[in-house]
Amino acid sequence: MWSLSKIASSIHEWLSSTFNPTITQVIEMVIAGVSIIGLFAVLGLVLVLMERRVAAWIQIRLGPNRVGPLGLLQSMADTVKLLVKEGLTPNGADKFLFNLAPFIAMIVAMLLMAPIAFAKDFQLWDLNIGVLYVSAVSSIMVISILMAGWSSNNKYSLMGAMRSGAQIVSYELSAGLAILSIVVLTGSLQVSTIIQSQADGWWIFKGHIPAIVSFVIFMIAVTAETNRAPFDLAEAESELTAGFHTEYSGMKFALFFLSEYVNVFIVCAIGATIFLGGWMPFHIGHWESFNHIMDYIPSSIWFFGKTFMLIFLIMWFRWTFPRLRIDQLLNLEWKYLLPISMLNLLIMTAIAILGWHF
Amino acid sequence: MFLKDYIKDIYGAIKSLLVGLNRTGYYFTHHKEIITEQYPDNRATLVMAERFKGEVVMPHDANNEHRCTGCTACELACPNGTIKVVTKFEVNAEGKKKKAIDKLVYHLELCTMCNLCVVACPSDAIKMAPTFEHSVYDRSLLTKILNNPGSKIMEGVE
Amino acid sequence: MMSGSTILFYLLATLIISCGVLSVLTRQIFRAAIYVLFTLIGIAGMYFWLQYEFLAAVQIVVYVGGIIVLIIFSIFLTQQAGEKLAKQQLDRKIFAGLAAFCGFALTIVQVLQHGFKMGTETPIVPTVENIGQRMLDVNNSGYAFPFEIVSILLLAALVGCIVIALRSKPEVNLK
Repeated sequence: MWSLSKIASSIHEWLSSTFNPTITQVIEMVIAGVSIIGLFAVLGLVLVLMERRVAAWIQIRLGPNRVGPLGLLQSMADTVKLLVKEGLTPNGADKFLFNLAPFIAMIVAMLLMAPIAFAKDFQLWDLNIGVLYVSAVSSIMVISILMAGWSSNNKYSLMGAMRSGAQIVSYELSAGLAILSIVVLTGSLQVSTIIQSQADGWWIFKGHIPAIVSFVIFMIAVTAETNRAPFDLAEAESELTAGFHTEYSGMKFALFFLSEYVNVFIVCAIGATIFLGGWMPFHIGHWESFNHIMDYIPSSIWFFGKTFMLIFLIMWFRWTFPRLRIDQLLNLEWKYLLPISMLNLLIMTAIAILGWHF
Repeated sequence: MFLKDYIKDIYGAIKSLLVGLNRTGYYFTHHKEIITEQYPDNRATLVMAERFKGEVVMPHDANNEHRCTGCTACELACPNGTIKVVTKFEVNAEGKKKKAIDKLVYHLELCTMCNLCVVACPSDAIKMAPTFEHSVYDRSLLTKILNNPGSKIMEGVE
Repeated sequence: MMSGSTILFYLLATLIISCGVLSVLTRQIFRAAIYVLFTLIGIAGMYFWLQYEFLAAVQIVVYVGGIIVLIIFSIFLTQQAGEKLAKQQLDRKIFAGLAAFCGFALTIVQVLQHGFKMGTETPIVPTVENIGQRMLDVNNSGYAFPFEIVSILLLAALVGCIVIALRSKPEVNLK
């Protein structure tokens, strides 16, 4: 049957039979890099269009429907517009850091792609601390925002950067604790092990109420970490014009824009991996025929389906809830999410020790 | 008690968030509610609202008669000099001179559609029309004369 | 002929050293912080190169996500935007260079004099389970005791923070 891992292994076999090992490895690295960049471009196009459609339908509008059939080429046209636009650098800006910041945002997003399992046996780097790696590397993201805010030499940008810094640093805690409560059950940080442990049921079903609580906390925390509404104080249009990317234009702005959407994809992919079983198909107990039908659906479709479902959830949040004030934001984290997730982790540990989970 | 309030707070917050999500989810799935008008495409079927104020017009009946007496109440009521009434004296059948309008000049480019002239008119001679496609290439085309050429006042309107 | 691994090592080393030097030489404080950040990321890269991923991730979480952000925040709250620092006096420069050279010489001498032996025992696989058990082990040179000491230190810091934050404002006499 057709699958991504088969394609990957056949490419590998062909390359290693044609070239010597070093060249094979170099070529494979190049292929991986190019396909990640390709995935980025496709994700940017698809997610921007999806966001605009979801926003329109929720606000009882139609959304983009003029460019191409059903408006499907709208984001393509936007990309062309951004590409041909002039990339201005303000006079008073720290030019080196100003130009470096969007690339750091992009590089961090690319690094985060490494441990994600896109399909069965289809993963760039299955390192033994996969989940920790993601939460560690994603904390570099805040540096690019702080850098952009500072080097723009603009008060709006600086305010946006500081808000975003405070926000990301504090919400990382509860996101980490929510992930930890599942890691306690699996006993491993490795992405492939976490997925294998869900072969007989996803953790959100197997882990009783604490798993659901930590899933909710995870979704709230990652919405805050990716700076999306209702936590988009860093770029609150009505107060800060555009926050940390006020001074950016053209392709440099596009990189920030793209990295926001790619980050949404990554956190949703991690959420799908940890709570919803990654590429594992949906199985119900002993319904053999039902399970066989579910197995027949390719694993990549399962993964992308779950991920896009979570992305839709985050978009739904964005177009439903009003923006929080900065004190409300910090209250929510330190007075509600953090104590609850700590208690939740404690309960989860007790469940794991007593073996009460399925 | 603190803990009771805390739990109550969380319960209330989650409940209100779910109510919001339910509402937007309803709109997301019910495409019949979409209110977007795809304007140039639906020109033939486009229905403007009754109270829409697009421009001032003077209705005439089948005999090319209007109801304007030339009292200049609209001109006085207009806040920015949009309307200019040019009057003349007509000699009627009995040999009496009577005031009537020669031209009612209306500057659409100045009009703010405030409706004050329509309210001020004692004989209901003018009203707001729901037209809105006013773009022209020459500004002078926006200066309109509201009464039709050769029209006269309706019988019985004083 | 250098292997890919050696090339990677030298690339990382160049990144670490050059960013370290730049962070000292630059006269803009924010840039200095960013160069320190790159140095620390380079060190994390070195840990990845040694295939000790856990330490690398911890390095990034603690230093990049925590300490550098703290430094940048304190720069934001104290320094004036983008202004260059005043040039240092010559005698300070000389003494700073001397101190740096002495430290460097000391390290180099230590490294050169130390006879590195190839270990015979099998290396411990740094899986999460292994690390966790080592961390909570009270025997076999486990790290439970230092772990607890650090926890008490952090707890003291937390309590101190709360006490400072809770200090009520002096009552203002409105008469």
